[in-house]
Amino acid sequence: MGPRTEAAKTEPRMGLERVATGIPGFDALLGGGLPKGRATLLSGSTGTGKTVFLTSFLQAGIQQFGENGVFVTLEETPADIRANVLGFGWDLEAWVGEGKLAFVDGSPADDWILEAGGSYDLSPLLARVDHAVKKVGASRVSIDGLDGLFTRFSNKEAIRSLLNTLTCHLKAIGVTCLIAGERQESADTLSRFGALEFVSDGVIELDLIRGQQQSIRKASVRKLRGCSYRSGVVEYEISARGIEVFPKIEVATLVAKTDFSVRRKFGILQLDRMLGGGAPQGHMLLLTGNTGTGKTTFGMQFIVEGMRGGEHSVFVALEESVSQVKKTALEHGWDFGQAEQAGKLAFVSGRLIDTSPDRLLFEIVNQVERVNATRIVLDSVSSLLSATMNEEQVRQFLIQLSAFLKARGVTAVLNYLCTANFGAVKGQLLSNVETNEMRISSLADGLVMLLYVERGQSVRRLLNVLKLRGSQHSKEVFRYEIRKGKIVIQGKYEE
Amino acid sequence: MTATDRRVVLRLYITGHTVNSRAATDNLRRIIDEELLGMYELEVIDVLEHPQLAEEDKILATPTLIKILPPPIRKVIGDLSDRDKVLLGLDLTVR
Repeated sequence: MGPRTEAAKTEPRMGLERVATGIPGFDALLGGGLPKGRATLLSGSTGTGKTVFLTSFLQAGIQQFGENGVFVTLEETPADIRANVLGFGWDLEAWVGEGKLAFVDGSPADDWILEAGGSYDLSPLLARVDHAVKKVGASRVSIDGLDGLFTRFSNKEAIRSLLNTLTCHLKAIGVTCLIAGERQESADTLSRFGALEFVSDGVIELDLIRGQQQSIRKASVRKLRGCSYRSGVVEYEISARGIEVFPKIEVATLVAKTDFSVRRKFGILQLDRMLGGGAPQGHMLLLTGNTGTGKTTFGMQFIVEGMRGGEHSVFVALEESVSQVKKTALEHGWDFGQAEQAGKLAFVSGRLIDTSPDRLLFEIVNQVERVNATRIVLDSVSSLLSATMNEEQVRQFLIQLSAFLKARGVTAVLNYLCTANFGAVKGQLLSNVETNEMRISSLADGLVMLLYVERGQSVRRLLNVLKLRGSQHSKEVFRYEIRKGKIVIQGKYEE
Repeated sequence: MTATDRRVVLRLYITGHTVNSRAATDNLRRIIDEELLGMYELEVIDVLEHPQLAEEDKILATPTLIKILPPPIRKVIGDLSDRDKVLLGLDLTVR
């Protein structure tokens, strides 16, 4: 089960019925599905996965809704299409045999076509599609490669006329159509794309953005005549199961509230006292510190304390691998592997380069819902800043995450690598953090700082609660020590 | 080897009985009567009546003249008024 998403938030849905594509996030983007009995254009360059979308539309019809379909292919052969989707577990050949799917094969064959004077039209394509639709009783039709007609036939008028009559006819018989169009870099709108757009009632745009290691694919609705839909862009991926769309989390600020009467403890006596009893439920705490200050251990402690009280958690491991995290926890005597197996702890791991914000959010939401987590630790926010996530995107990600967590009453500890503050005096320590991290720290409800101070021969570890929105908190600086299995707060820090 | 030594099987696909269909049919008969001297088999198929055949022969346009035999398969489209093109398309020698 994917995350719950809310209905389209634009104007009240108009009376047009929708045909679900069977891809949850995609249907949400469309405001319920494709407009029934109409033709929608899917426009994108090579690599955006248009053919997979087209096949997926028919597959969902057959496997989920008992609706038969026709695949009109003017580019790839039916054999190639069949082979390409076998990996998703879709047996097109079987469905053809069962009379649920029919192909109209207009792919370029080996034979030549020579034009020998006079005029011609493309009416056979219409006749063949109509025949196929009637043969299997199809209510869904996918059409791929129509652009190719402009290269194969010189009579542009005949092609445009066919597009028109074909779409009109399919609409007249109540069939829902998804048509793929190649997006050109140069805007040759009048002959190719323009012709397809002209006969469509809606246009969905697919984009491919290449990162350093991965590519990020985005989909957005450009128009959907007579329908309401969700504005904005969603990201998607072509996975082993087909198309996976990562839907946007609705930022429902009205429902998102911190419950100050419930405190989530760290199980570190002095720290919980400094936080006025513990982290308020729904708060997002930023835990900042240099390498070696023990941020991760604090986060783990937060989870362990939660488990003692029967709470479940999610650990988002972006800095180290999940196995490394489990190893470190084991050194403290905490068996995260066992907790994971018992369904009390879920991990989300991320790649350090080219992380897609929507995808990460989608996975976090999935895990939080799966184990019913009330606590979450994200290690770390700093590793989100990368080739494909700039500061603004990280902010947006945190805003969405915060809204989701608050609405569910999940308390978060986010680690943040802060490289300043070694050796400074007290006053300087605090002001440094405030100015450097202000942009992201302003999103957090609480800020706990971990610092090093070198004093003579020794290094002191210091802790301070810089802010805690809406709650009393101690403003003093304390010394702490990381021991096996627990963090100990010692005395106040004396200069 | 001349054209008359081989068995020629042709199919002319048309859509309904339009002026264009008529023109194509007439033009074709004239050409092949002269070139093939009766040594041919011709089927005129209406796409509206036999869409399944059009599907099997992968016909996208009408009128389409398709040469089934001798191989290879060749297609010529239009009203077939350009005789040279038709013969070229059918891969028959031009007199």
